[in-house]
Amino acid sequence: MMWIFIVSDALTFMAFLMAYGFMRSISPMWPKQTEVFNMVLITFMTFVLISSSAVMAMAVAAARAHNPKLAVRFLGLTIVGGLIFLGCQAFEWTNLIEEGARLTHNPWGVPQFAASFFVITGFHGFHVFSGVTILAIVAIRAAMGKYSGDQVENAGLYWHFVDVVWVFVFAFFYLM
Amino acid sequence: MAEHHDEHPITYKTYFMTWVWLLVLTALALGLGYTNINEKLKAFLLVCTTLAKILVIAAVFMHLRYERINLILITFTPLILAIIMFSFTFPETLGTATHLIRVR
Repeated sequence: MMWIFIVSDALTFMAFLMAYGFMRSISPMWPKQTEVFNMVLITFMTFVLISSSAVMAMAVAAARAHNPKLAVRFLGLTIVGGLIFLGCQAFEWTNLIEEGARLTHNPWGVPQFAASFFVITGFHGFHVFSGVTILAIVAIRAAMGKYSGDQVENAGLYWHFVDVVWVFVFAFFYLM
Repeated sequence: MAEHHDEHPITYKTYFMTWVWLLVLTALALGLGYTNINEKLKAFLLVCTTLAKILVIAAVFMHLRYERINLILITFTPLILAIIMFSFTFPETLGTATHLIRVR
């Protein structure tokens, strides 16, 4: 079932990214991302999310090997990664909003630029937040001894999916 | 969904090496973002690194390579639909030849 959900969620993000691609292609110009965004921060966020995904895979392996203590430790690290990511994103959003970026207009000339930024990263950020919540529940249950390898694996699948979406956003929104 | 594969032959070391490879691919994509090559070539190369990354994450982290073929095919539907949507919408944008100009 988790896979069916992931595929439907992927379709949603696909639609967002396609709409962004279309708006960007018909736009007569597009701001240079390296001048608008703090690329060091974005790269750090990418690093954190990929690392948390790797740690999550290890948590699943530990849960499957019937080692709840190690699984909880790995899950905790994954949650910390997710929280760091969310913190960085809140910081990034605050900076851009202070610079005057809004859904309808922004100081860089192309209204669609900030609109797609807020919608795409906002939707992804909300997924990270849900992921952290799910992981916290799974971690608490694992610490209580109420867990199965499949439960941890499903939470992991969702977390990896959030990472996959970020890979797309990082390449197509920030770098292209 | 995940009940039929209790034992993965994947070790912690494999996950660690996968992580290293993902970081290498990320660095590659970042480098591409800063190069001043032809925009179309850049877009193509970025698509390639992105696809490589998601295939690695799906195959190793998400254990997709141990799933049955039907499920693997289902996971490709968003990508196939993306290609269809792209080929329908992109020709519409070709009239605006100025779309590669950047502000500032």
